[in-house]
Amino acid sequence: MCSCRTYVPLIACLSIPGLELKAALRRTPSLALRPAALAPEPQGEPLIGPVTAAAEALGVRPGMRLGEALATCPQLVLVEPDPAGVELGWEEVVRALEDAGFAVEPTAPGVAYFETRGVERLYGGLEPALRRALGAVGSEWDARIGAAGRRFAALAAASVARPGQTVVVREDDLPQFLAPLPLTLLPLERQRYEELEALGVRKLGQLAGLPGGAVAERLGPDGRRAWGLARGGAAARVRGRRPPAEVAESLDFPEAIANELTLRRALGALVETVLARPERRDRFARKVALAARLVGGGSWRRTLTLREPTADADRIRVALASRLADLPAPVLELRIELVELTEPSGQQLELLAAGAEDRTRLREGLRQVRASTGSGSVCTVVEVAPWSRIPESRALLVPRDE
Amino acid sequence: MVAHSRVARAARAAGRVGRFNAPLAARVEARVDGTPREVNHQPVAVLREEWRVVDRWWTEEPVVRRYFELVLETGENTVVFHDGSGGGWFTQRGA
Repeated sequence: MCSCRTYVPLIACLSIPGLELKAALRRTPSLALRPAALAPEPQGEPLIGPVTAAAEALGVRPGMRLGEALATCPQLVLVEPDPAGVELGWEEVVRALEDAGFAVEPTAPGVAYFETRGVERLYGGLEPALRRALGAVGSEWDARIGAAGRRFAALAAASVARPGQTVVVREDDLPQFLAPLPLTLLPLERQRYEELEALGVRKLGQLAGLPGGAVAERLGPDGRRAWGLARGGAAARVRGRRPPAEVAESLDFPEAIANELTLRRALGALVETVLARPERRDRFARKVALAARLVGGGSWRRTLTLREPTADADRIRVALASRLADLPAPVLELRIELVELTEPSGQQLELLAAGAEDRTRLREGLRQVRASTGSGSVCTVVEVAPWSRIPESRALLVPRDE
Repeated sequence: MVAHSRVARAARAAGRVGRFNAPLAARVEARVDGTPREVNHQPVAVLREEWRVVDRWWTEEPVVRRYFELVLETGENTVVFHDGSGGGWFTQRGA
């Protein structure tokens, strides 16, 4: 391990371990100093997620069974998972890197690759560029960066770096660097780790020292791939992502809503509002996301790639409505995002759509009302619970600025 | 679509949607039996109907209301209710 620059173009890996917990703790930062762990997923195995340093000091480990964790540390606080918060937080991190001039390839929440070659001259070398990347992300996330000639080696370097530190591995030092690292860095199923441990293979160096054919015969294609990674992996180039669109609309409900029909109505209003946004104009939605803030502090998010890009409110509404059945708890806020939009290009439309004249007159009338009374003066009434015995619970007023 | 400036503007200022037909505080003078005699300084001509709504008793914000559908001496139809949980009189549309 050293900080010398080699002639091989380096790949940097930014890693944020326990991103899911850090994102969830943004709502309750005081818990960060107490023994806390991410609660298991509602429908998943009862295994806890990442844990705080205080919990780790008391013997709680990520991936422990919930019962075992609570027996080990009775004062352990379980933090509700916040998948929408994770996506939002991770998006902030990736955008911060992109704003600093890096082309970023995020592979999973908490892990992103980027190359420094294009900006090294701008920032005065590799190390300053990596420091700049860490600075852009900020100290909130405890990010760390590893850099090496190959992707896996960069990830391994990031995994040994401390928060706020950069570790650069020269190509010549790669075998010595990887050899003492644990097998858990490899993307293998738990059963495979156990199999390897039973054979006495516990470190990457031990696996790399085995003949490739024998590993493939014993462990199959996954094992062969892991063996390749243990020897450093391939030097695949980083492919920077296309930054996603930022067209979103949300509805805050006055009270938690669990009724699917109510949510469908709210979704219908949201789809219309988001499609009316000026940024969306002339473009069609290719990928949409539906997110919700749940009662009790959790969140929920589903993304959907449409078969054909569309700006048809009914099609988007129908496609997303079926996802509402997956909501695990009553909803306090519903949000729709147009994650990917097509370029403004030709899609043959009708020359004069039916009722176009009426709609134009209506729009013009509303424009005049808005001009005289100000923003927020025109609303759509969205029926949400028409059966309610409480009149003010039957419908909502959704502000409409377009 | 409605132009509903006050409620909508307040809702936007708070960054959230508003309630349609939200209750508005009213000045009501009641008789001994609890029926309204005057609403916003207008005498009541006819009491057309009376009913009660008891809901959300399982929450921390139960709804206990006694509604009255009235015709005022000005000829205006109105609905008022007395809030049994928080106290006070309100007018409400859509009831």
